[in-house]
Amino acid sequence: MSNTSAAMTDRICAIALRPRAGLWWWMVFVPAMALVLLLAVSIVWLFYEGVGIWGIDWPVAWGFAIINYVWWIAIASGGTFISALFFLMRVEWRTSLNRIAESMTLCAAACAGIFPILHLGRPWLFYWLFPYPNTMGLWPQFRSPLLWDFFAILAYVTASILFWYLGLLPDLATLRDRATTRGRQVFYGALALGFRGSRDQWRHYHAVYGVLAAIMAPLVCSVHSIVGLDFAGAQTVGWHSTQFPPFFIFGAFLSGFASVLLLVVPLRRVLHLQPWITEHHLDVLGRLLATSSLFVLYAYAMDLFTTFYGGDPAERTMFLARLFGRYFDVYWGTILFNILLPQLLWWRWARLYGPITVMVSFGVIVGMWLERYEIVVTSLHRPALPSSWGNYAGTFWDWATLLGSVGLFVAGVLLVVRIMPVVSMSEMRVLLERRR
Amino acid sequence: MNAISQRPGLRAVGLIAAYDDAAALRAAVQRLGAAGIAFDTFTPRELRFADDPPSRLPLLIALAGFGGAALGFLMQAYAADISYPINVGGRPLFSWPSFIPIAFEIGALCAVIAGFVGYLIAARLPTLYAPIDEAARFAEASASAYVVAVRTDDGAAVRRVLHDAVFITELPDLA
Repeated sequence: MSNTSAAMTDRICAIALRPRAGLWWWMVFVPAMALVLLLAVSIVWLFYEGVGIWGIDWPVAWGFAIINYVWWIAIASGGTFISALFFLMRVEWRTSLNRIAESMTLCAAACAGIFPILHLGRPWLFYWLFPYPNTMGLWPQFRSPLLWDFFAILAYVTASILFWYLGLLPDLATLRDRATTRGRQVFYGALALGFRGSRDQWRHYHAVYGVLAAIMAPLVCSVHSIVGLDFAGAQTVGWHSTQFPPFFIFGAFLSGFASVLLLVVPLRRVLHLQPWITEHHLDVLGRLLATSSLFVLYAYAMDLFTTFYGGDPAERTMFLARLFGRYFDVYWGTILFNILLPQLLWWRWARLYGPITVMVSFGVIVGMWLERYEIVVTSLHRPALPSSWGNYAGTFWDWATLLGSVGLFVAGVLLVVRIMPVVSMSEMRVLLERRR
Repeated sequence: MNAISQRPGLRAVGLIAAYDDAAALRAAVQRLGAAGIAFDTFTPRELRFADDPPSRLPLLIALAGFGGAALGFLMQAYAADISYPINVGGRPLFSWPSFIPIAFEIGALCAVIAGFVGYLIAARLPTLYAPIDEAARFAEASASAYVVAVRTDDGAAVRRVLHDAVFITELPDLA
């Protein structure tokens, strides 16, 4: 039988230790790095010239930077849901997916993390968000959700990196012992920190991993609740709603599962991971995606219902503009990509047919970006006072920064796939042994 | 590492015995325990033994988490009430519900960092080199071999107990 621990170890190590990356890897990596270059140029120009290079103005003072931030942080959530939430539920299928999902989380969180800083008017003063002793005798405003967000992202990114690294330690030790070139032995040896799998090392590992998972699960929910409160805390038409925290968690579910699916379907094929990432995994992810699209449908329906039940004319005016106004295509695109298309995945053949799952999950990623565009831009362009109404469109630099961050994400994922074990070998050994 | 690094000064040898799977290792370990021989295990995956003492790291994580959250809350209360009280439309200075999210985030951050650093300390990492690395085929313990390591001055007796090992290699001159 080929599906033994030894075969799994051989295959996963061979992926990380292969002397040369395949052609497909370079064909994706080079364009991704070109986009990273575009991102670097956009940031340099932004820091030199200021946020005036973007399309933001009154009344739409939040634009692509916030849209992209919320979008990326929701994409990032998928890895945490799979690695922490499903770990706590003792879900077996999580084991072969969690490494790819968690790595995806790190890359997406890195993309998310740069946007709040870019959107500051004076980014070099970002450390003013941190409560440090200063000669001005000032404190940050602890009552503001925007500051909560700073702490949430700080905690989430740090915890995600440490959780990922802790899970990697045993596998890095395997790679250290398997590496054949001096450079790789030193590289993996240093990263493995000398993990040898001794009795004490595993005993504490088991305890710590479980407790950290139990912290990560509520942490990721708090992050998305707080992102929702960034909006709900402001007395702005279209934002000031108590449903925003759960609404943003639902959105995180949807985009998180979609991005994991979008990565897993092609990676499983090019890296030949079919024995471990089976059709069952695609089936489960597809069902999760379809279910979370129903969650999001509920949130959209409540958004509509509370607006027209509430009776605030400004809210109603804004919502009608959202449905039929200048940005109607954004709203209906959101409905198409986030609600209608994912329903395809209720059919089993569709969940297992690669092109469809890729199309649906890519559609959801686009749809979630449109949803954030709808929340940020259409809400802001129709404030309560008609004299303040205005329009918004992204400029070249807005789009360049967005595309550049996509390049950063893709390049990051490819690097992880190139040098790190793509499946958690030590956890798979437990699973394979239990199956035997 | 413990069993091997104890008892310095003896003319001791280190024995590394490898098994194919966890069940065989458990049986061997049980025999060693019955014979009163100290040992350590090295396994490619998580393996718990019935007589493992519970890790105290979760307690440390809980202390760091709740302590961090409490300190975070007090910091905000201090800033808002004492260090920089500012009257915004007559709202109360001690607006404690709005301090909860940051207190939670600080607590979670402290807990995770305490867990990670505590783990490194408890697992004695980083230890980039240990004498046991010199044993032939010890590296297989990170992939397929379930290894039990014994430090002893009576190699023959231990070899009798571990007779069913897939292979036994010796690490001479530990002292």
